[in-house]
Amino acid sequence: MATGWYATADTLLPPSLLDIGPIMGAIAISGLVPVLFVKKNLNGGKSRTSEIAMAERFANLKSSTLINVVDAENRMTEVNDEMLAFTGYTRDQLIGQPVRMLYGPTGYQTADTIRRGLAEGKIWQGDTPLVCSDGSVRVTQTTVMPLFDGEGNWSGSISVRNDLAKNEAFLSGKINSTALHELRDSIWMVDVQTEHFHYMNRAALDWMGLGGGSYDRLSLDDIQTKMDISPLISAYHAVRDKGREDVQCNLVLKGMQFEVSVKRVAIDDQNDQILFVFQDISNRVEKEQMKAEFVSTVSHELRSPLTSIKGSMGLLLSNAAGELPEKARGLLEIAHRNAERLVLIINDILDLEKIVAGGMEFERVPTDLSDLINEAVLSSSINSQRFDVTIETVGTEEPVEVHTDPNRTIQVLTNLLSNACKFSRPNGKIIVSLTQQQGRLRVSVKDHGQGIPARDKHKIFERFADMTNSDRASKGGTGLGLSICKAIVENMGGDIGFESQEGVGTTFYFCLPTEEAVVYHTENAQPGLRDAG
Amino acid sequence: MIKLLHVEDDADIREIAKMSLELTGDFEVVQCNSGQEALDTVPSFTPDVILLDMMMPGMTGKETLEHLRKIDALKETPAIFMTARAQNADVEEFRAVGAVEVICKPFDPMSLAEQIKTAMNA
Repeated sequence: MATGWYATADTLLPPSLLDIGPIMGAIAISGLVPVLFVKKNLNGGKSRTSEIAMAERFANLKSSTLINVVDAENRMTEVNDEMLAFTGYTRDQLIGQPVRMLYGPTGYQTADTIRRGLAEGKIWQGDTPLVCSDGSVRVTQTTVMPLFDGEGNWSGSISVRNDLAKNEAFLSGKINSTALHELRDSIWMVDVQTEHFHYMNRAALDWMGLGGGSYDRLSLDDIQTKMDISPLISAYHAVRDKGREDVQCNLVLKGMQFEVSVKRVAIDDQNDQILFVFQDISNRVEKEQMKAEFVSTVSHELRSPLTSIKGSMGLLLSNAAGELPEKARGLLEIAHRNAERLVLIINDILDLEKIVAGGMEFERVPTDLSDLINEAVLSSSINSQRFDVTIETVGTEEPVEVHTDPNRTIQVLTNLLSNACKFSRPNGKIIVSLTQQQGRLRVSVKDHGQGIPARDKHKIFERFADMTNSDRASKGGTGLGLSICKAIVENMGGDIGFESQEGVGTTFYFCLPTEEAVVYHTENAQPGLRDAG
Repeated sequence: MIKLLHVEDDADIREIAKMSLELTGDFEVVQCNSGQEALDTVPSFTPDVILLDMMMPGMTGKETLEHLRKIDALKETPAIFMTARAQNADVEEFRAVGAVEVICKPFDPMSLAEQIKTAMNA
């Protein structure tokens, strides 16, 4: 059932609008809901024709407003074109028909309720469902006002309606655009065709010094002449010309640091826009720098006392201060081993912080990946002997040249090999393979150990997540190795992962993108991609 | 006997370095706790190699070396930096100011002498 409310016309009428007309005092269209104020017969009677003429004039005020007029018998005497378009009826099908036909059987009660109120001179306002010619029911937001003849007698009513679905969509759009405008992040929308600004929100206008809001004549070129936005332009071209969906870039403008997301937004066939969302990360960057500096300082400060501790123990163990009793030597070896471990942890923390803060520089130099693998295997021989395992290589017989950072790649390889050694069974075999799959270089390190329990798989690349603390102490790990590997590989544009089966073993792998890689046989020295076969 | 000038503000580290170098019997070690003390010492002691801590209060290792290089007898003397901050970029910077080697802290006292000899001959 439709709901609504009544108000007497006199109480609603603003004084300034009293003289607008003899029947209708005023019509105020709020932008969403038409609110009609009706004044009863203030200046004497007027003809019914003039009432209809007035209704038609109001109909023109807002073309999406649906209007119908009924007589004292509640039969429709006028409907506007919007009403016909909305319901699907022709004018002939409606004129002369009781208005309740539009309400359908379920709306009869509503129609009667409205009618009773109107007879008492009250306005009704509320939602009414209208039954369309195809049987569908569409809800309208409706205001119904009584009409009176020259003698002050009730002569019918006029209903003004709005499509509720459209209103809600409009309202929702308005809320969205208001929210967008008030957002703390800066927003630009640039027209792909003209490269002129289509929109800037308040935050963007403020920091760009365009408080007056005059951005519509500005283009990206205009901005470029005033400030260095080259990373933004590169991202813009990547999205516009290369079809990239969403490109991120960092930018420093007017002393502020922004992380910018650049995205294509096709509003409709005519409106193809590039959306720029600027997130001010100045505070975040400053805090991260402070944190990185703190971690760095603390770590370095720890190194000086550690130098003395480790150095003293080293000298004692080498009998620099004389022969040690066997028990004292055993205890000193434990202390020395743990001091070594502390140094490794500090180094790993520093490495990780540096990578995360973007402070680690990565080289891109032509490097033989096969050679790097063989070097990493050689430098892992101490570990392989300690844990009594053998390491085999596959696919490293020929040079495979790749543009990468050799030191960092070795760091990843030795980390993965160190893990494989620690988690292999005695007499176990580790296989390091180099292949090319789907145009990517893939290096895998396979062990035949216990495998990773299913419950731990999701956190394997998290810090200190690879094993319990007691495991770490006994095996000599820091708990940061895999996090560092992940950070390094991702910084080199690659990805890292693993496959593991409990009781069977684990294979860790990393892939390097071929965009960064040129692989060739050195025999003919001709650049060209090689498939794994 | 290799005459070595060691400049380091941490007394414990000085002690460990002196003990580890003198154990070999190949080094005559003179130690200073600051860059200024090193500048005061060199007129009476001309080293074959200079071992410098990088981070010291007052004059840093780098600044100390710059001052030492102004003395004719020390213009070509091999200099080795010791530092707890040894990232790749730092190492490049140290080498650019005349370091022949950069030794990271914590160092291994048992191989320190060998590291220094290798750097001197490089």
